[in-house]
Formats: sequence, structure tokens, C-alpha cells
Amino acid sequence: MSTVVQHQVSGRRRRSPLPYTWQRGYLLASPALLVMLAILIYPLGYSFIMSFFRWDLSGSAPFIGTGNYTDELFGRQFNQALRNQTIFSVVSITIEVVAGMAIAVLVNGKLRGMRLARTLLLVPPMIAPAVVGLNFRWLFNTQYGLVDALLRMFNLPDIPWLNDPTWALVSVIVADVWQNTPLMVLLFLAGLQSLPQEPLEAATVDGATPWQRFWHIVLPLMRPVIMIALMLRIIDTFRTFDVVWLMTQGGPGGATNLLTVYSYLLAFQAVDFGHAAAVSYIALGMSLFVLGLLYGVPWLIAKRRAI
Amino acid sequence: MSGTLSRRKFLAASAAVTAGSLAAPWVARADAKEITALLITGGPLYPKYWEKIVQDFTAKTGIKVRYDLLEFTPLTAKVVTLSAARSSQYDVYSTHTAQIDSYFNHFAPLNSYFSDSELADFYPVAVKYLRDPKTGNLAAIPRNMDARVQYYRSDIYQEKGLKPAETWEELIDVGLKLTGNGHYGLVVPGQGDPAQRTFSDLLWQAGGDWVDQANKPAFNSEAGIKALTFYRDLIQKHQIVPPDAVGYQWNENSTEFSSGTVYATFDWPGAFATLSNPETSRVVGKWSTAPYVRDKAAISCAISHAMALNGQSARKEPAVEFIKYTVSTDAQRLQFDQFTNFPSSQSLAKEVIAAAKGPQATWLQQLETTIANGKEWPKLAGFSKVCTLMFSAIEQALSDQASPADSLNQAATEAEEIMRRAGAYD
Repeated sequence: MSTVVQHQVSGRRRRSPLPYTWQRGYLLASPALLVMLAILIYPLGYSFIMSFFRWDLSGSAPFIGTGNYTDELFGRQFNQALRNQTIFSVVSITIEVVAGMAIAVLVNGKLRGMRLARTLLLVPPMIAPAVVGLNFRWLFNTQYGLVDALLRMFNLPDIPWLNDPTWALVSVIVADVWQNTPLMVLLFLAGLQSLPQEPLEAATVDGATPWQRFWHIVLPLMRPVIMIALMLRIIDTFRTFDVVWLMTQGGPGGATNLLTVYSYLLAFQAVDFGHAAAVSYIALGMSLFVLGLLYGVPWLIAKRRAI
Repeated sequence: MSGTLSRRKFLAASAAVTAGSLAAPWVARADAKEITALLITGGPLYPKYWEKIVQDFTAKTGIKVRYDLLEFTPLTAKVVTLSAARSSQYDVYSTHTAQIDSYFNHFAPLNSYFSDSELADFYPVAVKYLRDPKTGNLAAIPRNMDARVQYYRSDIYQEKGLKPAETWEELIDVGLKLTGNGHYGLVVPGQGDPAQRTFSDLLWQAGGDWVDQANKPAFNSEAGIKALTFYRDLIQKHQIVPPDAVGYQWNENSTEFSSGTVYATFDWPGAFATLSNPETSRVVGKWSTAPYVRDKAAISCAISHAMALNGQSARKEPAVEFIKYTVSTDAQRLQFDQFTNFPSSQSLAKEVIAAAKGPQATWLQQLETTIANGKEWPKLAGFSKVCTLMFSAIEQALSDQASPADSLNQAATEAEEIMRRAGAYD
């Protein structure tokens, strides 16, 4: 019996370019691959195709080439959302990375209460963005909010946090920074704790100040961690939806409309899936472009130096 | 009979489960005595209401109804998604006049299921705006009417010797006299669809309209600019409305009044029940109702929650039976008793008005007058997208980012292009 099986297997081997173990591997992995195709690749491909059609609920869906893309790229509302997205991403990521590094260095020290501080840092990233959005909506309420109540205690004027276009954008950035800076701290803290101690000790013996040690030794050694942190946050800010939706719904007057919020409004309010899909793919393209710059520019510089 | 699972048995079992799952919807569809419905909910009483309606319907007809409940916003998003996917998951949908134009090609026409005399009993304004203006097809049937009246703090007004405002000028005067010490004379919503509804009412009251005879945007007329300027000034210039109203939708608007912070508002029929309930209101027994304010005309919106038949449904006949039951006199009466929802049936409305006493009778009369004079924005191709544009334009003016004229002129130019592309002028 075993001889027959062996013979069949070797026969198969001769017909297929793939070894039997690989075939078995693909066979066993195929259900998972099918599920992946069904729930990930198919919708992605479908929505990409959708972005080239006038796809609303009117019955017909004519092919319009890049019409949805050009409409949006030259449209007022898209450009407002793009401007908001750029400000939101640049400002929040800058604050989160700089503050995250500063707090990580502080928490990494052997001061009292640092263990408790590290534990507390886990809290904001653990809270659902929807809850963060609701909390900040109430904190920034002019009539009932804690923030303006504190300002009033010090005889300072009220700030129209969510009613003024500039302050509304500031408010959503504050909420994002509050939730995500601790994540940066944890990432940087893990990086700091895995740094080799020898170069730092040598620099100390050579009389380097703490700032010089940080700037010339710690920061260059932390570069891979910083790159990962930047990558995660760039991807995340281009996906931000819940916090902004619950705080402002993109208002007032589109002042906090990010690309995701704008895309949602197009799909579910305007019932215009073609344009919504186009906006989503433009946002995806932009985040890939920024990530490409982030990794590509240093690589090109290093390559030129090598030449 | 070994207990071990061979690869062949595992694959065969997996194939059987997959085939079973794929076949399930068709098996379920084959049962004509069971239909599915996606229904609206809101508040703790709604699930019990639908449970009773479905039980009574099943007892009368033998048709079972499997249903899911969702609140208005997620329900709208789900209906949009299912319609885009041409799904037959639900035979019946709860829907609303507001976005009905998006579904004209997805909801099955109900014309043939209702006789002319049956349709004549519904408020004409409700039926008119649930029809596709191009084909005349009735996309949904009204279940209850939505219109607003003025709710004001009768105790405070009496104390200060004030009467509820009847005109725009009086609204400002009364508001100024009531605003102060952390209280405001009025609250209006300022975000999204509620902001567009408020602007729409003011536009009609100022003598304007959304489109002209040729269906071209006309909301940026002199009347439109006057309406949006008045709306903005209530918040920014006269400051008789809480500053956060720029970000308010209906819930915040109602809560400001029911919490006692604000002394007047314009609210939907459901507010009558909410404000009378000590669990949801701090002002029980301290408020009264008055007609909506007017300017050149006394017009405000009259829309309706409605029921629609999915065009993809394979069980249209039993589904229509259910729809008919949900708009029957019994179902509408139960709705009125539980939620004070105003009936869409004119004959039933007359009955409940005749049976009502005291403040409720006055309120129902006011509502009926509003509905009789009511309007809705046009159901032209592309108008749903124009609405999204209007949210932004109105919010920009309310938050002083742009003048009312600039906001409306820009929106009108873009709206015409949107409607042209959508085929509104073909």
C-alpha cells in the first residue's frame, strides 16, 4: 500500500513543477487565502474599478475614465479637505513625535514615580477613538465644557473651540495628540531601553553634556525606531475618522473635513460612490507617496554618498 | 469508524458547510410566508412598538417578519450600502422623504398596490415628495408626518410678560429679552441636515425657493441671502442662540430646551412626548406650543417617515401586505399613542385632533396647519449631493467664514453643475 502511495506521489512530482510539500501547503492555506481574497482584495479591487465610473444609485453607471479624479483634484471641497488633512497630519505627527521623544527620555530616567507614569501612559491608546471624540466634544463645549470653565476661573475669555474654523482644527489636533503621543512614548521608550550603553558611557567619560549625548548618539541610534513611528502615524492620520466625526462631523463649514470624512460624506450623504472611491484612492496614493519620500530620500542620499 | 478526522473527511465537511451557507439565502427566500425588514428605531419604546406591530401582523396574516432595528443615521447608511450592492437581504425598508431621490431606482414603485382613494387619505404633501418627479412612481408610503412648531417656556414668558414670537422681528425681540445669566432666548441647530432644514424653512418664509421654474438653483436669490443672514445673525449678531449651536444637530437642540437652558425652540412632534416625560425633561408642565414664526409667508417643511419595498425583493406581495399594515389606521394610532407621532392619514389625524383636549389639541391643530402649508426641497436628480454642498455652505456662513451671499452664490454655481451631471435637465 505504501509503495503505491509513494509511486503516486513521485508521479505527481514529475508532472508538477511544485514539490508535493508545497502543493500540500498551498492546499491547506487555500481556505485562508480565499477568505483574504474575498474580504480584502476583492473589495479593494472593486472600489478601485468603481472610482472610474459614475457610480451613484441612479441605475446606470457609465465609465467616465479619470473623471471622478479630475473632478475632485480641481474641486473646492476636496482641496479644502486636502489642506485640512495636510495641516492635521503635519502638526499632529510633529507634536506627537517631538513630545513623545521628550517624555520617553524623561520616563526612561530613574526618577520616582516613573513606573506609575509608564502604566498611565497605556491608558489613552487603550480608549476607543469614538470615546475620545465624545469626551473632547464635551471638554471643548463653550457652555458646559471643562476647558472654557477653567478659562473663566482665571478671568480669561471663552474660546469657541468647535465653533470657529481655526479653533475647531486645533481641537481635533489636540484630541489626536492626546490619544497618540503615549503610543509614541512607548515605542521610543522600548527603543531607548535597547540602545547599546557603551557609546553613551564613552561619551560621558569624554565629557559630553546630556544634550550632546542625546543629539549626537541617542538620536542617530534611534533613527530606525523614529522611522517606524513616523510610518505608523502617517498611515494612521490618513485613516483618522472617528474622533473628527464625533467632535465636529467635519464642520464648521468643512473646516475639519479630512479626506476620510469627506469620502464618507460623499458615499453616504451624497450617495456618490464613484467620487468617494476616487477620494479614498487619492488619499491612499498620497500616504504611499509620503511614505516613499520618507524611506526613499534617505536611501537615495546614502546611495549617492556611497558612489 | 475510527475517531480520527482524515483530510478527505475534513475537506468534505468544509465543502458541505460552505455549500450550506451559500444556499441558505435561497432556501430562506423560497419561504414566501416569511419576509425581512430593516426598520427604524429611536428611544426605548420603539423596539416594543415594532414587536407589537409584527406580532399583530403575523396573527392576522400568518406571514412572519424577521426584522432588524437601526437608528436613523446608521439606517440610512445601511440602506445606501444595500441599495448600491443591489441586495435582497431585506424586503422592506424604513425610509424618509429627506433622501428619497437617491432610491428612486432601487425601491419598487408602490402605485399599483394602493388605490387612488387609499392614496387620497394621506397628506398630499407627503405623497408628492415621495414620488419620482420624472416617472410619477411612488417610491415609499408615508407612515407618520414630520413637521415643527414652536415650543416655548410658558412659565418664563408669563413671568416676563412676553408672548411667543409670530414674526422674525419678534423672534429677535423676545430672544433678546430672555437671553442672559447663562440662559438663551432661542436654540436652532447649525450643523448638517438640521442646518439645511432650518435654512430651508427661512428661505420659504422669506419668499424664496430652492429652484426656479427651469429647476435651476434659486436659493441664492435675494430671499435666500436674507434668510441665511437672519439665521447667522441669530447666532453671531444678536447672540440669542448658544454659540455652540453652530455644531448642534437635533439632539443637542432638543436637549438645550428640555434641560431648561434655553427658552424657545422649533421641534418635531416627538418633542411633545419627550418634554412631557420627567425622565427626559426638566421642564415638565412649564412649556407650551405656538405656531412656527413667519416672514413674508408662513411655510416650513412637512416631511414624513415612510415605508418602502426593496426593488430586489423576491417576496413583494407579502412585503407589501406588511407595508400596508404599518401604515394602517391601527398602526398609526398606536404610534400616536406611544410617541405622539402625527399620523400621515388625514382621516385619522382629524380623529385624534377631535379627541384631544387642552394643550395637546392646540398643538395638534398647529401641527396640522404647518403640514397643510408645508413644503419640501425638490427631489431632482443629484439633489442629495447638493444637500452635502449646502451643509458646508450654510455652516460657513453661520460660523462667519464667508458672507451669506458668497456662500450661497458659490453653492448655487456648484449645485447647477452637480444636477446637470446627474441628469436633472435631460
